[in-house]
Amino acid sequence: MRVIIFSWEFPPRVVGKLADYVKELSLQLARNNVKPYVVTYHDYLTGEFDEEYGVKTYRVTNPVKTHVSVLTWVLTLNQEVERAAANIYYKSGKQVDLIDAHDWHFIPAAVTLKKALGIPFVYSIESLEDHRSHGANSPFNMAIKSIEWLGMYEASRILVKSKWMANEAVRIYKVPESKIKIAKPEAKLWIETILETYGSLMEETAHNA
Amino acid sequence: MPKELKVMMLTWEFPPRIIGGISPHVYHLSKSLAENGVKVYVVTCDFPGAPQHEMVDGVEVFRVDSYKNPSPDFASWVYLMNMNMQKEAAAFVKSLGGVDIFHAHDWLVANAGIGLKHVFRKPLLATMHSTEYGRRNGIHSDYEKMIHETEAWLTYEAWRVICCSNYMVSHVKWVFGLPEDKLVMIPNGVEVKEYEKHENTDLNQFRRRFALPEEKIVLFVGRLVYEKGIHVLVNAVPKVLEKVNAKFVIVGNGYMQQSLSEHVKSIGLSHKVLFTGFVDDATLRNLQKCADVSVVPSLFEPFGIVALEAMAAKSPVVVSDTGGLSEIVEHDVTGVKVYPGNPDSLAWGITRVLLDNDYTCRLRENAYKRVLERFNWKIISQQTKNVYETVLKEYSKTFWA
Repeated sequence: MRVIIFSWEFPPRVVGKLADYVKELSLQLARNNVKPYVVTYHDYLTGEFDEEYGVKTYRVTNPVKTHVSVLTWVLTLNQEVERAAANIYYKSGKQVDLIDAHDWHFIPAAVTLKKALGIPFVYSIESLEDHRSHGANSPFNMAIKSIEWLGMYEASRILVKSKWMANEAVRIYKVPESKIKIAKPEAKLWIETILETYGSLMEETAHNA
Repeated sequence: MPKELKVMMLTWEFPPRIIGGISPHVYHLSKSLAENGVKVYVVTCDFPGAPQHEMVDGVEVFRVDSYKNPSPDFASWVYLMNMNMQKEAAAFVKSLGGVDIFHAHDWLVANAGIGLKHVFRKPLLATMHSTEYGRRNGIHSDYEKMIHETEAWLTYEAWRVICCSNYMVSHVKWVFGLPEDKLVMIPNGVEVKEYEKHENTDLNQFRRRFALPEEKIVLFVGRLVYEKGIHVLVNAVPKVLEKVNAKFVIVGNGYMQQSLSEHVKSIGLSHKVLFTGFVDDATLRNLQKCADVSVVPSLFEPFGIVALEAMAAKSPVVVSDTGGLSEIVEHDVTGVKVYPGNPDSLAWGITRVLLDNDYTCRLRENAYKRVLERFNWKIISQQTKNVYETVLKEYSKTFWA
């Protein structure tokens, strides 16, 4: 199974909790016979590509350096994420089974790749704009929420880390509960649940093809 | 090339959505390419009442829901619109079984064009209709710099960059530091037939809606913004009126409208200057045919399509000697050129045209002939098709092919 993971943070670039989580996830996937490719942001200290313990990491930078907000920064970074993912796809003989997109940042890329190349994606939620911004509803916050909504709508599966977050996704975005899987990072069966989710999605894709 | 060439145009405006010059440009280019055997798909923003999917003069048009994401500012709106345009276009391309080329018009569709290029691995072409640097006369804020860098990114990713005038070629080359062999000059065009369509209207009758019979009509068409130099024309009004009885008809909207009309009122000339706002196509064409002189006083003008339209309508033109206008108009032959930003010079040009009938007749005829020879969509679409074919030949030798 070949999986591309999108995350805007990945060690050594650590912004919050997500970086270490995605690192652990990618290592565990590699240990379980999955080929993980991480596409993340480049911070100039890390190089464009490295491979360690079976995890291939591609780092992209933003071609537009000057920005007025994190929103414009994210939206112009997405095409580079698409480029990196498309390169993985074509180099592997079009054998990419799914994309696991962590948080809202690279949802636009995941959606385009789904529409263009038929690669389904999982939306893994670390946090939601409604909580981060304490319910603020300025156009800026609403724009981010609209991207989260797009992700919820287009994703084939939604992975959350707690029952509470599952409830929140249902409450805020009216996601059907059947679409959501809970994989608690502290649980024994954490990676098994994720592998099961990936596997069921692959079966579904094969069935629909 | 035996196979039918399939091109997907990306543009943020396409009729009936008309904001500036890109909309008519893409319409005529697509239509003429279709007549020239190219299969053209246009992906554009939606417009109230316009269908999501339709055939327009042999061109397949897709309109994308563009206003569903709340946006804090215009540029963020553009990037969000691109997110939607890209995902919709991706689905269309997949359903069509692929296209050969993506052709993006301006930074307004940069993200979508660049993303589609990489996911489908097909060449991207960009037409740069304008630049942020030119529009703002320099880059003064982070916001402007962001747009400028987005334009630079688009020209970097494009296989070729098309500009509509030699002026724009050198401007774009300098502003983005592009290599010479990446740039192509293909002029903009005008459809002469559109001025023959309304032949049966009684122009004398029509004219009365805008001016008294004894008044000459001085026509301005354009957005009422600084770069269009409309304030220069307003400052020239009293100078012209010293010599000729004229009515200044100002067509278009823009942020300067209120201050300009207040200024006109304060100098007591409200009865000589008419602000019509945005008018429909038929009214505009008839106005251009009635105009005793059409004025284009721009300070920055990548091409100057409105001068070309006036020439096609057989209205004599007075333009500022800048940018693309300098190339369209030959002084004393196809029109009159004046110093940009100089109301005295502009008043001189207008007066000259209005007072010398023989001279004006000569200008009209020469200008009309020039339009037919050089700015004709059939020739332009052929030049564009040649660029597509050159690019595809180069592409066929790359590992993407």
